[in-house]
Amino acid sequence: MAKKVFEVKDLRFRYAKSNVEAVRGISFDVYEGEIFGLLGPSGAGKSTTQKIMTKLFRDYQGEILYYGKDLKNYSNAYYEDLGVGFELPVHFSKLTGYENMHFFSQLYQQRADIDDLLNQVGLLEDKDRMVGEYSKGMKMRLNFVRALLNHPKVLFLDEVTNGLDPKNARIIKDLIQAFKEAGGTVFLTTHLMNDVEELCDRVAFIRQGEIVEIATPRSLKLKYGNREVRVEYFNNGKTETDVYPLDDIGTNKDFLSLIKDKEIETIHSGETSLDEIFIKVTGEKVDA
Amino acid sequence: MHNFGVLLRGEMQRLVRYKILQISFVVSLLWLGILFLIGSDHVADFVPLFIFIDVSMMTVLLVGANLFFEKQENTLKTLLITPSDFVALLASKFVSSLYLGLQSTVVIALFAVLMFDVSIAVLWLIVFVLLITCVHTAIGFTFVVFVKDFNGLLAFTIFYMFLFAFPSIFFMLDLLPSSAEYWLMFSPTHAGMLMINYTFGEDVAWWLLLLGALYLVVLSAVLIRFVISPKYVETAVRE
Repeated sequence: MAKKVFEVKDLRFRYAKSNVEAVRGISFDVYEGEIFGLLGPSGAGKSTTQKIMTKLFRDYQGEILYYGKDLKNYSNAYYEDLGVGFELPVHFSKLTGYENMHFFSQLYQQRADIDDLLNQVGLLEDKDRMVGEYSKGMKMRLNFVRALLNHPKVLFLDEVTNGLDPKNARIIKDLIQAFKEAGGTVFLTTHLMNDVEELCDRVAFIRQGEIVEIATPRSLKLKYGNREVRVEYFNNGKTETDVYPLDDIGTNKDFLSLIKDKEIETIHSGETSLDEIFIKVTGEKVDA
Repeated sequence: MHNFGVLLRGEMQRLVRYKILQISFVVSLLWLGILFLIGSDHVADFVPLFIFIDVSMMTVLLVGANLFFEKQENTLKTLLITPSDFVALLASKFVSSLYLGLQSTVVIALFAVLMFDVSIAVLWLIVFVLLITCVHTAIGFTFVVFVKDFNGLLAFTIFYMFLFAFPSIFFMLDLLPSSAEYWLMFSPTHAGMLMINYTFGEDVAWWLLLLGALYLVVLSAVLIRFVISPKYVETAVRE
């Protein structure tokens, strides 16, 4: 059994000028070496939860244990373990990419090879350009390098592939997988279900500050999917569709005779996409 | 004070890259130009005033501009998730601001001494300028944590000038009765102005200087402890 990196118990948080709690008694665990996704619509409490776990917000109720010890008892040395990839670029625009990374890396005891990281995300050739001249995609890749500068144990990533083209998104996703395979733990908040499907070992859906579902993507698909088989076949010069219950499909005579006698075009189980599950669970559409 | 050295080097590098140091230097040169035009008869009256304006109002504006740059670029937030002490973070920003104040003072004072043979109590000038810059850095920070944009900062600065700086200037020009001085001592600008005037040979009671210095120290400490520290994270994280 993997170690628990975080144990979040009955976490509650209210913004100073608000009457309503932004986070309402959520509980979950994050295990070592897993990629844990926190999903939900805008304003659901994802970023607030992440800000609490990264100690940006400290005035919360409930308990967060990091490797079994109360987060409130950790000094700023906690950040030696953490890499945080923000949703928006977080760099000094009038310094070069390398100067930015060099400055931030000096703040940590453990320091990764900056050139190597820049090379991995395809920014090595641009390292001496001012960040102000970078495209949004380049800035997001630099954000990711920033998160890895201190050889972190835990990565907090917020919409990390947002604004990246498919090729660069692929590079970042591969690096996240490599980080996990090396034993790292990832806490991912996103609305991009493609990323979730590819990366996450477990996901939690948050709605109005409450966790409404927590499971692996596969078990969510099984739970929310339609247990049926849809068959498209060719009959009398046109395509027709029949739907059969998945249960006892091996003994369903109609299904068996159909696949034996007809020219089958496609067969699909009634698997539901995470997009659909997101809508079902949170009651909201996935943001574009 | 973990990481203070790294943070300070970063602040100084950014003062140059964001041209804040250069702008501050150009403003000092403008003061020199005006002093040159004023001529030697009145220069002794205006040198303290220009130094004062530079280390008070200019400090508020430059500190504010610098913080807004950082807020726009989300770097205030990313520095909060490093192992650096919060005290080191604030201290590096204060020290870089003190450097700016000192640079302007040196440029103006050196010009006054070399060109017009003005006599200055140099050591006291340095001490008082550091105090005045420190309190106005704290005031600049205070404005930034309460306003949403640079226009808000300008509005607060102008309001501050009307409330505190202008009465002191009127007093200096004998447009206010001498009894007004007791009330004016509640103004950080007046306390600062008295100190700078003293370093240029004006007769100022020692207890007024002491009171003024204590006031500036206490005001800086109160603003840092009760306004800036609790609101800084909220300001940095606010998107």
